Amino acid sequence: MIINSNKSQILDFLVDAANVKGDCDAVYFPKTAQEISEILIEANKKKTKVTIAGNGTGLTGGRVPQSGIVISMAKFNDFEIDESRKIAKVEAGVLLSEIKSKVEEKNLFYPPDPTENNCFLGGTIATNASGAKSFKYGPTRNFINSIEIVLPNGEIHKISRGEIFAVDGMLKIGDFQIKLPKIQMPKVKHAAGFYIKKDMDLIDLFIGSEGTLGIITEAEIRLIEKPENYFSAVLFFDDEVKSLEFVAEVREKSIRNRNFDDEINALAIEYFDFFALQFLKIEFPKIKNHHKAAVWVEQEINSANEEILTEKWLEIIEHFEADIENSWIATDAKTRREFQDFRHAVSWKISEYITRKNFRKVGTDTAVPNDKFVEFYNYSRSLVESQNIHFVAYGHFGNSHLHLNMLPENEVEFTKSKEIYKQICQKAVDFGGTISAEHGVGKLKREYFELMFSDEEIREMAKIKKLLDKNLILNFGNIFSERFFN
Amino acid sequence: MKIVVCVSHVPDSAAKINIGADEKNIDKNGVSFILNPYDEFALEEALKIKDSIGADVVLVSVGGDEVKETIRKGLAMGADSGILLKTNAYRDSISTAKLIAEEIKLQGANLVFLGKQSIDGDNGVVGQLVAEILGFNSVSVAVSFNLNGDKIVAEREIEGGREVVETSLPAVITAQKGLNDPRYASLKGIMAAKKKVIDEKEVTVSEIGVELIKLKKPAQKQAGKILGKDSSAVPELVRLLKEEAKVI
Repeated sequence: MIINSNKSQILDFLVDAANVKGDCDAVYFPKTAQEISEILIEANKKKTKVTIAGNGTGLTGGRVPQSGIVISMAKFNDFEIDESRKIAKVEAGVLLSEIKSKVEEKNLFYPPDPTENNCFLGGTIATNASGAKSFKYGPTRNFINSIEIVLPNGEIHKISRGEIFAVDGMLKIGDFQIKLPKIQMPKVKHAAGFYIKKDMDLIDLFIGSEGTLGIITEAEIRLIEKPENYFSAVLFFDDEVKSLEFVAEVREKSIRNRNFDDEINALAIEYFDFFALQFLKIEFPKIKNHHKAAVWVEQEINSANEEILTEKWLEIIEHFEADIENSWIATDAKTRREFQDFRHAVSWKISEYITRKNFRKVGTDTAVPNDKFVEFYNYSRSLVESQNIHFVAYGHFGNSHLHLNMLPENEVEFTKSKEIYKQICQKAVDFGGTISAEHGVGKLKREYFELMFSDEEIREMAKIKKLLDKNLILNFGNIFSERFFN
Repeated sequence: MKIVVCVSHVPDSAAKINIGADEKNIDKNGVSFILNPYDEFALEEALKIKDSIGADVVLVSVGGDEVKETIRKGLAMGADSGILLKTNAYRDSISTAKLIAEEIKLQGANLVFLGKQSIDGDNGVVGQLVAEILGFNSVSVAVSFNLNGDKIVAEREIEGGREVVETSLPAVITAQKGLNDPRYASLKGIMAAKKKVIDEKEVTVSEIGVELIKLKKPAQKQAGKILGKDSSAVPELVRLLKEEAKVI
């Protein structure tokens, strides 16, 4: 096993895409679950903190160590597709982009689609990643049949969906009896803290637990048939209000029409506000000065319904007065990819901006119930505007999920941005939403996580970690502030 | 004014290509097809002329039924009509050029745009062959194009710079990346494309000059070797570079 303790060679492991920074003594590159088990047994003896590293695309500092050692999952690269059963056995260090392209060669499709595809599968499971397509397909959780996991004490378990369920509020793994806290998760897309439900499946406790309960080394993922084709359009609006009304109408219709192939049934509704468009203009000169907002919609189509669906989309797009002449429609896979790049460009340009300014990302990951969304969006924007801080707003508006990224120019604005951020999170919670719909809590968002649940509830969740990880060695600092273990 | 734009139906540039069982075709399973990216520049240039001085833009393509999908995309971008020269027979560059040239003659077009090459065959000669057959002027690898009356001023990309050339209609222009920023189809364009006609003409491929024997994948890159992590590995590295790689 390669162990690298040369600081100049492991710098990449001390930072993430949100520019959160940390430190460690060495990075380990195991290749098997057995090797990980041995590292963890040893770490328990020495009480060494262990941080798990995926590919560093996270935005919450989850993979950034504070001390101790890092386990890189980069050598877990095995990948096997079973075409006939529509599943794949994938090790944790395989890139999501590789999974997608390899399964598509077999005419299959893996729907989880975080905007950043340059991430490891393990990371997407640990954070229950979602993205644009989760509007229709739901998050990663829905596509994980089984996982192999190394518990903090070194035990290796294979957990298959549908085998072990909670009974009377208790879940069992090995000799551990886990008492489920009595908490109510928000009824929106949600990725903050453990997944807790009455009668829940054991596997769901580990999916989204941000590496605090174990290290996922391999998973069996569920694949579906590759869609024949897509209706994919980036629609520009000269009137922002109309663009939001369009989003609401398409969202409502899509939810209603989930089982109807010949009706408007979007798989993604992505939004870009005026400032996001300004941000993108240099790379995408086709954006016009009069465009105030854009919405990217996609729906699966086939040769039988293509014509009728195109007509239905045209009707609704005309009704909400999109700039039909200057909106973009993908006619093939290459153009669709360009639209994906357009969407991705917003996130990476923000990351680039904050890295250049050497600030941490101050971007919301909030989702609220659909009927509260416009009110929430307007509240959040006017709050930022009132403080004269530059921002861009975009996000997975199908899921009423807003990424409002503030772009502070200096330390004073950065501090102000963090205050605003907290107020926005509080508003999301007041509306029955979540402070994190997809990025997770990591180390950056613990303070806001604490707005969502009472101390007592968080303490109950932390007890699960303490039970499985008695020395608190694994991904310590993720989700839970230290005080919840005292 | 009538402008012909030749378009190719090619595998997606991001597709992983495998060779089919007959070793003469690619395995099309799981591969999506696109409008040849260089042809997008060709079509955009024709559409720009149409937008500014008006023109009838006709798409011409050679191949089987599946090619209609690509012609449809060109129509959605704004071309007026499409012609499919229908054949499933194997073609080399010259046989393709002959079929296209014949059709251009029938159309009476005096300006023709093509991509500088199709990204499947990569021969990059069909444009020049068409010009030769028709006796048209030819500018290849164009990155700038200006039409004034029947006078053309174009720029070509050459090693380390640009060459400014002047010619006149009738002409064949092959488009290089950088010529323009191709438009996306609009929703109205897609609806309108459904009503536009694709004229299908059965054609016979004349004699073939270059026969395809078989397709081969490039040799797989060998896995890298890690000799060590610090300076102690240098002597072995030098030995291998000298004796195995023979580069020093």
